[in-house]
Amino acid sequence: MKRTSPSPEDIESLETHLSQTLQRVAPPSGMIQRLSGRIQMPTRSEIRLRITDWRRLFVVFGGVMSGMLLLVTLARAFYYLVGRRDAM
Amino acid sequence: MEYREEDVLARASTGDRDAFGELYERYAERIFNYVYYRTGNQHDAEDLTARVFQRAMNHIKNYTDRGVPFSAWLYRIAHNLVANWHRDRSRKQEIPIDDLPILPTKGEHPERNLMRSQEQDALLRMIRKLPPERQNLLILKFVEDMSNAEIGKIMGRSEGAVKSLYHRTLLALRDQLDDQHLNLEGE
Repeated sequence: MKRTSPSPEDIESLETHLSQTLQRVAPPSGMIQRLSGRIQMPTRSEIRLRITDWRRLFVVFGGVMSGMLLLVTLARAFYYLVGRRDAM
Repeated sequence: MEYREEDVLARASTGDRDAFGELYERYAERIFNYVYYRTGNQHDAEDLTARVFQRAMNHIKNYTDRGVPFSAWLYRIAHNLVANWHRDRSRKQEIPIDDLPILPTKGEHPERNLMRSQEQDALLRMIRKLPPERQNLLILKFVEDMSNAEIGKIMGRSEGAVKSLYHRTLLALRDQLDDQHLNLEGE
C-alpha cells in the first residue's frame, strides 16, 4: 500500500537524527601509523625527517666542494708564483 | 608544509612513495570512516582501509584526472572492496553485524559516545539494511559532509540523480521507522 508522503517537518527531523547518528569517528589510536607500516609507506614524520636529512646532505656536500675548490685555487696560485720565481 | 594535490599526484604516479605517503595521510581517516560505516566492524574497517591504499598505490600510474577527483577514485576502490567483503561474508553465511561498535566521534569527549541512544542504534541498523548505493549516499552526505555534486562524481551520477535518490532514501527510511513504530523524538 502506498503511503502518504511525510511532511517537511518529518523529513527535517529525520535529517537531524541522521546527522547526529552518522558522525565522523576518530580512528583507533595509532591506526594511521600501523597501516602505513603495513602498506610500507613512509609516515609524514619520516618524510619530513628525510627531507631535512637531504637538506643537511646538500649543505655538507656543498661545503666540501667549496673547500676543495678553494684548496685547488690556492695550490694553483702557489705553483704559478713558485713557477714564475724559478723561471726568473 | 602542504603541497598542491596535483603536484603530489603527479609525483605519486611516477612511483614516488613519499608523495603517495602524503596522499595516504590526507585520506586515510576519511576512507576508514567510509569503510567503518559500511562494514560495521572496526577490525575489518582497518584491514579494508589498508587494502584500499595498497590497491591505490599499485594502480596510481593508471589514475588520470578526467574531472574525477582523486578522492572519488579512492572511494570507488573502497566501494568495490567493501562489496567484495559483503559478498564473501554472505558466501560464508556469517552472522551479520548489526551493531556498530562505538568509536569516539571527532572532537568530542569519548564518554559522550557511550551514551548513543537506542534511537540512533535503531537508525544505524536500518541504514545498514539499505541497498549499498543508498548507504554510500548517506555516509558521504552526513559523515563526509559532501554536496550532491561531489557525491555524484563518486557515484558516477548527475547531481539531480543524487538529489532524487536522497529523497527516495529518506522516504524509505521514514517508512521503515513507521513499520517498526519507532518515533524519533526531537532534541
